[in-house]
Amino acid sequence: MRIDTKYSNWQLAALVLLRVLIGWHFLYEGITKLTTPQWSAASFLLESKWIFAGIFKGIAGNPSVLSIVNVLNTWGLILIGLGLIMGSLSRIATVAGMLLICLYYLCNPPFTGLYYAIPAEGNYLIVNKNLIEIAALFVLLLFPTGNIIGLDRFFYKLRSK
Amino acid sequence: MYEKRDNSSPLAKKGMERRDFIQGLATLPILGLFTLSWLNKTIHDRPRDVGKSKRVIPEGVSDINVAFLGTGEQGYILLNDCVKLPGLRFKAVCDVWESYNQKRAAQVLKKYQHEVNTYLDYREMLSEEKDLDAVIIATPDFWHADHTVACLEANLHVYCEKEMSNTLEGARRMVEAARRTGKLLQIGHQRRSNPRYLHCYNNLIKDAGILGRITAVNGQWNRAVQPDIGWPKKHVIDSATLKKFGYESMHQFRNWRWYKGLGGGPIVDLGSHQIDIFNWFLDAFPRSVLASGGTDYYSKDTHEWYDTVLAIYEYETEQGVVRANYQTLTTNSSEGYFENFLGDQGTLHISESANRGGVYREPTAPQWDKWVSRGYLSAPAKVTPQSTTGAVLDVRETIGPDRHNIPVVFNDPYHLPHLENFFNVIRGLEELNCPHDVGYETAVTVLKVNEAVEMARRLDFDPKEFKI
Repeated sequence: MRIDTKYSNWQLAALVLLRVLIGWHFLYEGITKLTTPQWSAASFLLESKWIFAGIFKGIAGNPSVLSIVNVLNTWGLILIGLGLIMGSLSRIATVAGMLLICLYYLCNPPFTGLYYAIPAEGNYLIVNKNLIEIAALFVLLLFPTGNIIGLDRFFYKLRSK
Repeated sequence: MYEKRDNSSPLAKKGMERRDFIQGLATLPILGLFTLSWLNKTIHDRPRDVGKSKRVIPEGVSDINVAFLGTGEQGYILLNDCVKLPGLRFKAVCDVWESYNQKRAAQVLKKYQHEVNTYLDYREMLSEEKDLDAVIIATPDFWHADHTVACLEANLHVYCEKEMSNTLEGARRMVEAARRTGKLLQIGHQRRSNPRYLHCYNNLIKDAGILGRITAVNGQWNRAVQPDIGWPKKHVIDSATLKKFGYESMHQFRNWRWYKGLGGGPIVDLGSHQIDIFNWFLDAFPRSVLASGGTDYYSKDTHEWYDTVLAIYEYETEQGVVRANYQTLTTNSSEGYFENFLGDQGTLHISESANRGGVYREPTAPQWDKWVSRGYLSAPAKVTPQSTTGAVLDVRETIGPDRHNIPVVFNDPYHLPHLENFFNVIRGLEELNCPHDVGYETAVTVLKVNEAVEMARRLDFDPKEFKI
């Protein structure tokens, strides 16, 4: 994969904007969970439908596993968010972000015949915000910007010398 | 433009230029912006924890010597709240159930290092205990007047549980004694000191006028079917003692709330709390009441008062007429207990149950962003979702209103702030939240319901009835 991509200024600005916006979203989701003592993924996991429901409900049903998942999820969101905003270890952050949201998507996929009690603010059929965010991160993975605008620039520069 | 390169630093030697620093750190200000936004939101959304704000007794204020008169179910709750408050010395406990209520109360107080004298008869307590400052009365309603008047005349400040009395004559004697002696008399309508209710009244209704013109009120307290209250057989009170204190039997002693002449039934036990809020929030007294009720479910032998009561009041407020309905069921607990105030701009749903409460903006009302910014309301918690049934919204229907939470956290026991208010008034720090006049007004309002049920017709209030 090329990492010394030449972008026009507008292309670069658009990609960095997308990266920062997604990073902001991750970071705030993580911070909110961190600062809400009673937060737990349990209700989300227990709502799981489709073929992976057994796994997600199993996690929710095991208190020790659930507590680990809660911590991993919270700090995962925060670190991915920081990575995307700062452009630091941005490829790892991008891939990790895709995997994490992929889990959310598979937990509660908006497929025909699956009904959820958790309220959604919109209407979705197969495509929801999670899927779109995964796709957006995929774009960022293919068009990286951390090595141009971001802390990765230092590592890239040092390594390339 | 970067020709003045400083080659002395290690990074510069690696070929780092100013451009690298600028571009490498270019998104860091976003983190600053994030932090600022987050702090701003955190401060803005923070519920105001006002429940535990006033637990400091100023220096030089001496302890208040307190006695408990009546330590049954309600008295025991008050006692357990009082021991959490600083600046109190408990000196005496009086209860006619010597082997149970009295003993239990003394044991709890002993656990908190209060050695108390115990009494069966309040007259003996008042003649023996010479250094008391205040008394907490939680005896059955029919004793309130005698107990309160005697304590006030013994120069004590009195906190008396609601209902102020089971008769207006008794309530009147209490008011007159309080005025005559100049001592404090707080009536136990504890919602009057609840920070959530105070916020709703002071900020939402009075300051913001958030509901617009209130046109209707409804409230209820529904309870599931309950068996009669029993007693441990080894702690039976002998019939001479029961008779001396006004009870025909142990069953009547334990279930006095259901008996005419002793209590007032559910409309008084439960309804009184909430109908008091009707008067308070509307700043008015009703002009009439219409009621239906009866002992429909339980045995009339053991439930002389009505197990089911529905009442409709009419209020004439400064803004116009308000119709208020209230129901209490003791056969079904559906929806529990709450009060709803319905105005042309919004609805206030409030309950002593701390998990309930919300304010709903009418779709046609002006935006409430100002009140959210001021901390009076939380941001809308949920917008009513669109139909999930596929039904089309009829043109005659209005869309569901936004829901805002009441941003006041109150995690203390329900009676604690009211007791605290009473003691702080004795210390000269506050004013009573439910003085005798207010207690009397509520008694007039509530006791009329039983009268209306009995007479099976609408009864009007004379405004003079509410004043002594």
